[in-house]
Amino acid sequence: MTTVAAPVARSREASPLLRFAGRRLLGAVVALFVASLVIFAGTQLLPGDAASVVLGRNGNPATVKLLHQQLNLDRPAWQQYVDWITGLLHGDLGNSAVGMAQGATSAPIWPLISDAVVNSVILALITALLMIPLSLGLGVVAAVLRGKWPDHVISVASLAAIALPEFVIGSLLIGVFFVGLDWLPPVAIVAPGASPLDDPEKLVLPVATLLLASLAAGIRMVRAGMIEVLQTEYVQTARLNGVSERRVLWRYALRNALPTSVQILAQNLQWLIGGIIITENVFAYPGIGSTLVVAVQNRDLTLVMSVSMLIAVVYVLLNLVADLFVMLLVPKLREPA
Amino acid sequence: MSDQYAGPRVSRGTLLKGSAVAAIGAMAVPDLAFGARTATPKRGGTLRAGFVGGGTAETLNPFLGVTPIDEARIQNLYDPLVVVNADLTRGPGLALEWTHNKDATVWEVKLRPGVTFHNGKSFGAEDVIWSIQQMAGKTSAALPFVSAIKLGELKAVNKLTVRIPLKAADADLSGNFTYYNTWIVPKGQTAKDYKKPIGTGPFMAQSFTPGRQSVFTKNPNYWVSGKPYVDSLKITSIDDNTARLNALLSGQIDAMAQLPTQQAKAHAATKDINVLVAPSPQAMMFYMDTTKAPFTDPRVTLAIKLIADRKALVESAISGYGTVGNDIFGAGLPFYDKSLPQREQDIDKAKSLLKAAGQSDLKIQLSTSPIFPGFVEAATLLAQQAKQAGVTMNLKQVPPNSYYNPSLLYLKMPFAETQWPISSLKFFFLQALATDAPYNETHWKSKPWNDLLAKAIAEPNKAKAQSLWNQVQKIQYDTGGYLNWTNADWVDGLSKKVQGLKPSAAGVLGNYRFLDAWLA
Repeated sequence: MTTVAAPVARSREASPLLRFAGRRLLGAVVALFVASLVIFAGTQLLPGDAASVVLGRNGNPATVKLLHQQLNLDRPAWQQYVDWITGLLHGDLGNSAVGMAQGATSAPIWPLISDAVVNSVILALITALLMIPLSLGLGVVAAVLRGKWPDHVISVASLAAIALPEFVIGSLLIGVFFVGLDWLPPVAIVAPGASPLDDPEKLVLPVATLLLASLAAGIRMVRAGMIEVLQTEYVQTARLNGVSERRVLWRYALRNALPTSVQILAQNLQWLIGGIIITENVFAYPGIGSTLVVAVQNRDLTLVMSVSMLIAVVYVLLNLVADLFVMLLVPKLREPA
Repeated sequence: MSDQYAGPRVSRGTLLKGSAVAAIGAMAVPDLAFGARTATPKRGGTLRAGFVGGGTAETLNPFLGVTPIDEARIQNLYDPLVVVNADLTRGPGLALEWTHNKDATVWEVKLRPGVTFHNGKSFGAEDVIWSIQQMAGKTSAALPFVSAIKLGELKAVNKLTVRIPLKAADADLSGNFTYYNTWIVPKGQTAKDYKKPIGTGPFMAQSFTPGRQSVFTKNPNYWVSGKPYVDSLKITSIDDNTARLNALLSGQIDAMAQLPTQQAKAHAATKDINVLVAPSPQAMMFYMDTTKAPFTDPRVTLAIKLIADRKALVESAISGYGTVGNDIFGAGLPFYDKSLPQREQDIDKAKSLLKAAGQSDLKIQLSTSPIFPGFVEAATLLAQQAKQAGVTMNLKQVPPNSYYNPSLLYLKMPFAETQWPISSLKFFFLQALATDAPYNETHWKSKPWNDLLAKAIAEPNKAKAQSLWNQVQKIQYDTGGYLNWTNADWVDGLSKKVQGLKPSAAGVLGNYRFLDAWLA
């Protein structure tokens, strides 16, 4: 998706940083446009629709047709797409198809999902805040002590965790910390309007699940990057010049291993979004993931599309931020070539 | 209570009691003793129940509810005209008396006096008329229950009497108002009011977030004196089966409906929660499209029914939580024909029937789906049993979302599975087998049979009605397209502190009667 060595064109007017940011921004807009097309096409391919789901077995061709008209599902697909995207550009996520099918005159999506969005963001932020220092720390430790037992422990543990899907890790953690030890609650039910932070104990297992599932890749990449840098000539030279090992590690090696790590961490955070959908379901945590799963079951297509689009925006933003961060870390990118 | 409940229903109820009581007795497993313990109920506290959620499709509108979580909420916010008791007999709800003219085409319903809605307004005939009109709405799930009513001629005879004229005779009108889609709302309540609706039920809506949670508070003026016992009722959507059970085990909820049967067996043994088991008329069936070869030949459909080892199916597909079915429907309900012999596995007879039909080497496709627990297991086992009779059943597993979707696969699969929560014979037959039945899974179409059904429904004399109903059922038993392998139990999980909920054949969690529940 992103590359470190972005070609920087010579320019006299704009600063290279701005030009770079501009290009990335344009790329982001294009990516989002493509994403919106894919999301729309994907939901169109789902068999069934909200009308038949809401009516259930009570649906007969006549009532389904009536609901189709009310929901504008009888209009051509391109027209539905244009309506949706125009709404999005005006900050309108649209109406929940299920809400409309139940006879509401308007059922705006944002109030339906805002609570869930906040809950998911809290879960993701806590995980990210722990994930970044942990991947860096453990990656560096593994690299520095390469071949020694701490490296083996970290490597084996992270490789084992990366091999397991979130729902398996979640179930294992529940098995140990609830069924076995009875230390932690196995579900994270949060009342509507309440904050998950009111009862942080509930967040421990979901966060641990996400961390275990996502740490490994980061650790592996930081370790590989560090090992590579530690073998470079300038590190050797610094060591031979008597620079303290600590300084060598943090100032010389890590600083230069960081750019690749930032990209990987950004990818990890994006991957975290996918992990959250599954983890929320395992722990009955009321976030955007469980909202999305039920919305797909209900064929609430506008809700599915708008939530997917929100996720796409977060993805693209993470990429953008990571790119800019790399710019700041690599001085060469900031200068005209 | 049944004394004040005059009208034709009473005697029919008593007639039925024999079988239903026997069924309830059969489930008196020692574990269930907690239900019968006669401690003085404690008041107060919050009862928390968890159900599979329906996302934003969850609703408090009784005429739109389609899933168990909707049913749980609706049954606690509103009241029915008729109450279905734990043994499937009917008792008075908001209606006290049902009387009809000679040919059962006009009914008069006397309503319960002194009932008030949550907002203090008193309940009366106009509310019933309004509710019936809502039930007849185009997207209403209750439409089939009121389609025989002449809506324009509904009349409030006085404040507490409603006259209901019918398009076709029906000697069992109260049977139309047992299902939760037919519960009563105040006059004037419309779609936009269902965020915080008004009812007469034991609990009052305080907050409701679809897909998340609802909080109801006790109705202090409820017409059943002294009830409910708990101060509030919290119903939470927990979609994942394991997460829901974990929530119960860790004490974050107190009750969950429809415990997966294998888990139920395990926890009934470890006794860390109470497992509430109630035999019910919930039918789990295979169905054959009688208009598609080879099922056009009744010898073939009968052979398939004779292939099934029902006991083995019940044991392995639903861990023994059910009684064997007999290819007719609604065991324990009024007019169910108990006299038909229990159908057993008979491979030799199946083989000879198939031979006579020229189908000795029968190969058919059986569509199944994990939409309902036990479906795939039952289909797998039936296919194995079929081999003994030389029948090859190829299993085709299809996605749950298309299985009951009429625009995709539903009613288009010649040989598949289904589940019906049957609340009255009349409604199962009208919805699944009558000529214009919307869910005619077996594509059953027979003019003489249909006339017989109409006669049975219209017959006011109960002995005559029973004999008509028996004929209707015998034809299905002999030549119908349904293989009903079990009447499955309701199996729920309760935390040890929940008391007062008694198993009910009418529905899960004691038919959602949270007004009876109290917390020890």
